[in-house]
Amino acid sequence: MTQPSLMVVVQRYGDIAGGGAEPHARSVVQRLRPHFDIEVATTTARDYWTWANEFTPGLTAVDDVPVRRFTVERGRSRDFRRRERRAFSAGHTLDDELAFVEAQGPVAPELLEHVDRRGREVDHVLFFTYIYYPTVFGLPLAPERAVLVPTAHDEPAIGLSVYKPVFCAPRAIAFNTEEERRMVHRRFRNARVPNEVVGVGVDVPVDRSADRFRRRYAIEGPYLLYVGRIVESKQCGPLFDAFARWQDRQGTRATLVLMGHREMPVPDRADIRLLGRTSDEDKFDALAGCVALVQPSLLESLSIIALESWACGRPVICDVRSPVVWGMAYRARAGLGYRSAAELAEICELLIADPHLAARLGESGREFVERTYTWPRVVETYLDLFAEVRARNS
Amino acid sequence: MNILVVVQRFGDEVVGGSEGHARVVASRLARTHTVEVATTTALDYWTWAPHFMPGTSSLDGLRVHRFPVASGRDPEFKAFESKVLLGRHSVADEQDWPRRQGPHCPELLEFLREHGRRYDVVLFYTYIYEPTVRGLPLVPERAALVSTAHDELPLRLAPYRALFQLPRALGFLTPEERELVHRTFRNEHIPHETLGLGLDAPGAYDVDAFRTAHQLDGPLVLYLGQVSEGKGCDELIAAWTAYRSRDDARPGTLVLAGTIRMEIPDRRDVVALGRISDEEKYAALAAADALVLPSRFESLGIVLLEAWQVGTPVIVRTDNPVTAGQVTRSGGGVSYRDDAEFADALERAVAQRDALGAAGRAWVERECSWDAFDARLAQLVALAAA
Repeated sequence: MTQPSLMVVVQRYGDIAGGGAEPHARSVVQRLRPHFDIEVATTTARDYWTWANEFTPGLTAVDDVPVRRFTVERGRSRDFRRRERRAFSAGHTLDDELAFVEAQGPVAPELLEHVDRRGREVDHVLFFTYIYYPTVFGLPLAPERAVLVPTAHDEPAIGLSVYKPVFCAPRAIAFNTEEERRMVHRRFRNARVPNEVVGVGVDVPVDRSADRFRRRYAIEGPYLLYVGRIVESKQCGPLFDAFARWQDRQGTRATLVLMGHREMPVPDRADIRLLGRTSDEDKFDALAGCVALVQPSLLESLSIIALESWACGRPVICDVRSPVVWGMAYRARAGLGYRSAAELAEICELLIADPHLAARLGESGREFVERTYTWPRVVETYLDLFAEVRARNS
Repeated sequence: MNILVVVQRFGDEVVGGSEGHARVVASRLARTHTVEVATTTALDYWTWAPHFMPGTSSLDGLRVHRFPVASGRDPEFKAFESKVLLGRHSVADEQDWPRRQGPHCPELLEFLREHGRRYDVVLFYTYIYEPTVRGLPLVPERAALVSTAHDELPLRLAPYRALFQLPRALGFLTPEERELVHRTFRNEHIPHETLGLGLDAPGAYDVDAFRTAHQLDGPLVLYLGQVSEGKGCDELIAAWTAYRSRDDARPGTLVLAGTIRMEIPDRRDVVALGRISDEEKYAALAAADALVLPSRFESLGIVLLEAWQVGTPVIVRTDNPVTAGQVTRSGGGVSYRDDAEFADALERAVAQRDALGAAGRAWVERECSWDAFDARLAQLVALAAA
């Protein structure tokens, strides 16, 4: 019996930096590969900001899956910020919205031609990320076989009219979280589009050693862990300020450990340790021994690192204004949320003083992840959604 | 409820099937809802040249918002059309189709984007034009699409694929249109209603006066509508001539009533009347033994319903799914495939005139009463507002 065919469309794919939708797409492709004749359509871009053509166009393979790369005709335009401001301002026009999508890039018309041709030969097309050109203009070319993984959060762009068809035309939607689903349904009134909370599976190694991590990086005493790009947009600045103020006011001695690519200044102090990009082993070792993972970002569609922290049995400290991370932490009873720098300090004190509380929160996190975010469940949910698409088109 | 009807043209002078339907629907809905219309300044469906004043005015007691046509049909549209429909072209060309076809009316789109949420339901007429194909995606959460789709090449173009997946409800004029759309877009899951038509009862008419005025004696077979090759009148005349050359042919006259757009053979048994008035229309239908509609592309077949209103059977082509479907559903006529079958169909229609006519009349009274039409329309609005 031949397998059903699946095309995956995503703006970047393969050996690329950063987290988010692209590695998400790749991990899903790897897990769905046994069940489908699978192929990926993407661009030659490696960088999510410039979309510069770095990969060779044409057919290649990633993880033994055929990947077809199409040239980016225009990357992010130099006046992107201006276009963005105009599209987000009151009194903007439909043309301003379209100009924003194009200015954002990656503009890849040949990718659209491919979706138009090949996308209507395969049984289903899985589009990753609602916001970029390949999905905005590609999904409407094969809506009757499209499944959207929006990876959406509540941000100005999602309020633009140009995104309405992206959320109302596909055959099915695979959300990352319950919170994302609620937000999208509230905005688009599109609950009749079949949908599931799918997300990704979280794998953590059994061999995790806090001691190994402490030895390797010479870290003593209680420490809080941040993992991710170190940027303003993820609220790292306020996190550093809050942590420094807490420590400077004679708080219990603790260290803030930062893992990830630094894209902003980090205060030069002994109790803030910037480790840069690390191996997975270091990451999981660090998670095993932390007081808690701190996730200050407000705009996460799915915080993989929070899921990994829970899978390791450690709690998550987050900003209550983050609908998704706080929503999940609250539902899972697996973390504590702060409203201010002072509350962040109080939470840190509390978790250091009461390791049993921290362990209890972490344990409910672990149960939460096992209920939803494991690969067998993720794959099964995708198979159900795709079967529904085929049933309607057969 | 507040309801907005979006249609490419709207006004007294506008002639057109979907525009006429839109106007009727707007008026019927206005009996129980607050209805406004958003349209363009165009009158001519080919050039879309500005004709009406832009701005808000009143028609049939409805607020009508007219937005200026920024550009009409591209002067090179014919060449563009054959390239996109039949030649090598890009996705971008297909995306360009609605704008180059016209009417390109950006202010109407801005109105929908900014004020669409003021309405509980927005009813879009005619899938093919830009106000619908670019406007509906701005308010899909409250949209009903009355597609008035035919089996034609543009229906397969890229801009329409998402359009038919977006609305909350779909309205069709006939069951055949519904099947075409479902077959093409696999969107059976979108709630839908087949609206059909509502008809006023025929006013007073005088069959004898009609016969006298046009000196028509004996059995009559009537064609009513534009007399042109496009409507299949050349084939009809050929079939009629073939029938009449047979030894066993009945006596009779083929009467062609409507604007003449073709050469008519000079025969005693073929009479072309030109356009006739509305009163004469029902008299002509009642006088006829049968109405014949030879068109292959009819999308609604209103004239069939009018024939049945006065108890006259109809003869239609088997290969026009819409009219053949109407005849099958009502039992008010017969269909034919070719000249040989035409003769046979004509014989049967004339022989069973009263029974077929009565069946047609019963069907039209049941299906096309205003009560029945209003109920279907209310259902469509309810589906879109749900």
